[in-house]
Amino acid sequence: MAQKAMPGTSLEGIHPTYMYKVVLLGSTSVGKSSLAYRYVKNDFKESLPTVGCSFFTQMVTLEVAAVKFEIWDTAGQEKYHSVCHLYYRGAHAALLVYDITNKETLNRAKLWLRELEKEFLPDEIVIALVGNKMDLAAEREVTTEEGEEFARTKGLLFMETSAKSNHQVNDIFMAIAQELIQREQEKASTSSPRGRSTVDLGESRVRTRCC
Amino acid sequence: FTDVNLNSRNTYEVSRRRSAPEHLPHGGTAPAAPAPPQEPAERARRAGIAGAGSSFAEFFTRNFFTKRTKELKPAVQSAPGWKLFGKVPPRENLPKDSKIIQQEYEARTGRMYKPPPLSARRKNIEFEPLSTTALILEDRPANLPAKSVEEALRHRQEYDEMVAEAKKREIKEAHKRKKIMRERFKQEENIASAMVIWANEILPNWEGMRATRRVRELWWQGLPPSVRGKVWSLAVGNELNITPELYEIFLSRAKERWKSFSETSSENDIEDAVASVADREASLELIKLDISRTFPSLYIFQKGGPYHDLLHSVLGAYTCYRPDVGYVQGMSFIAAVLILNLEEADAFIAFANLLNKPCQLAFFRVDHSMMLKYFAAFEVFFEENLPKLFLHFKSYSLTPDIYLIDWIFTLYSKSLPLDLACRVWDVFCRDGEEFLFRTGLGILRLYEDILLQMDFIHIAQFLTKLPEDITSEKLFSCIAAIQMQNSNKKWAQVFASLMKDNKEGDKNHSPALKS
Repeated sequence: MAQKAMPGTSLEGIHPTYMYKVVLLGSTSVGKSSLAYRYVKNDFKESLPTVGCSFFTQMVTLEVAAVKFEIWDTAGQEKYHSVCHLYYRGAHAALLVYDITNKETLNRAKLWLRELEKEFLPDEIVIALVGNKMDLAAEREVTTEEGEEFARTKGLLFMETSAKSNHQVNDIFMAIAQELIQREQEKASTSSPRGRSTVDLGESRVRTRCC
Repeated sequence: FTDVNLNSRNTYEVSRRRSAPEHLPHGGTAPAAPAPPQEPAERARRAGIAGAGSSFAEFFTRNFFTKRTKELKPAVQSAPGWKLFGKVPPRENLPKDSKIIQQEYEARTGRMYKPPPLSARRKNIEFEPLSTTALILEDRPANLPAKSVEEALRHRQEYDEMVAEAKKREIKEAHKRKKIMRERFKQEENIASAMVIWANEILPNWEGMRATRRVRELWWQGLPPSVRGKVWSLAVGNELNITPELYEIFLSRAKERWKSFSETSSENDIEDAVASVADREASLELIKLDISRTFPSLYIFQKGGPYHDLLHSVLGAYTCYRPDVGYVQGMSFIAAVLILNLEEADAFIAFANLLNKPCQLAFFRVDHSMMLKYFAAFEVFFEENLPKLFLHFKSYSLTPDIYLIDWIFTLYSKSLPLDLACRVWDVFCRDGEEFLFRTGLGILRLYEDILLQMDFIHIAQFLTKLPEDITSEKLFSCIAAIQMQNSNKKWAQVFASLMKDNKEGDKNHSPALKS
């Protein structure tokens, strides 16, 4: 069920277009909305507290495919927890965002991970751990190593970002896109030995469906 | 109701509270005088920063122009700007300056002044294009060959056409401006007369009149800003019997808590620390954080702004009063709207009672199964009123939680322009929770054609960030067209039967959760 990406027509006509649902999860005011806003509008402004969920879209063109992100930016307050499963249901990727100047928010991100692990199989969802507010590195409570180590043991993508100073925001979404596409290709090569069969590991994994 | 009037109320409130005490006595009644149109932010800022200064300016302008007003009504507002334009004295006639000074002096002292040249000038400004004169019809510089006769003629003709075109445009715009002014004037008159009716007839006989047809109809038109807070208070009621003294008690409790939080934390034993961590999100940092994120464009709730502490107090007192509910994001918007229309203790009383209504309690406790009931009832009326759009949403499995959560939690104060949200609140106070859902359907109806063209994510994006140019007239005519009647069952009955269904059918999921 996980990778139910929908290949469609792409502008180039050769590359498939995949649509992926990406959900942003994390404590309140760690910068989820700001990350989404920076990524989509390349700008920074003080966001209003998110009530429920807000939505963004963004296109990414990779070498082998185009990716359309549907970004679901959720409310961070713990009280909203009971409605959050409405939002991450069917997601292809999740960004677990914490604030590097607030240790508690990392713990909260770990809890989110536990919840996602209950809901998804490991190959159903790409999860990234994101330490935001790099611009406040002087007030850091969580070291880079700590975040990195946790991500490594759990097999998550990891990056430290700053929505404010535009540090690695694009990169993390790009990494997610690449990971998703790679999984797509792996899946295609194992499940459907169509096209030029599976001998050529280099290119045959690319699903070149046009139109 | 226009933005102007509502804003003027808010600004008026701000300046009232901030201005010198001698302004207070006549603060009880409303500003009947039209305020010049201005951006809300700018107005708020002006009120917040300039404070007494602005009222001085007003006083000055008024005095200065009273004599002229009689004959030159439309010119009054733009008078300072007009003077700026009118002056632009060519260098050679310096003496004119002194003449103007003299004129000003005369006008101020109320002695002789000459309207004819003024009105002529005024007319020029309105109908003569401002930018083209003297630019085009110059002869070529001496070092270049002169224009041929035809060329010169052609240029003259083209120039005349341009001027005529521009003139036409300007006249059209002037008419439009006039029309807008007329409408505004009419609206202000309506508000003024409605205000008198509310203040003199309805409010003194509230219980007897509130349900009469006449009052209900007047109510639908929107409440005059001057009685808005009062009517809200009365309509929301005070089932909880909260007194201003009780508010003070909870406020001082909140203040103590804030103090102890900022002082200690590490000394407490572990159990305390655990409890305080859980509390912290609810009572302390989050409120502080959200206050400055509440209506940031008004510049009045941010740190240092005139209402920052007030909002902090009301929310803090509430979390002490109702620890079972605590602070939930979205509340700050509701409290802010109340603070804009009511005195502190009254705002708290209305806030606590409002959040104690079944629908609000269900949402702010994030009682998911109850919320689903509300969504299911909403969908019943959605299908009834907008079947095509309903199917369209269904085809994308787009459930109401996507857009309704934000709308209901903040009572539209975050999603609609503030003046429009206040008008929704007006009728919400009249009709209760059902009106919140009716408003939602009104919004869907208003944008039905656009929404039918959109896919899932674009609908979600659109509805969680509505266009800013949404107008009161259009929305309310759409809301009026929504029938809250489903095969003779009204909202309350539909909702009640959904509640019953669930009790009987165990966990028979509502349409909202079918997927």
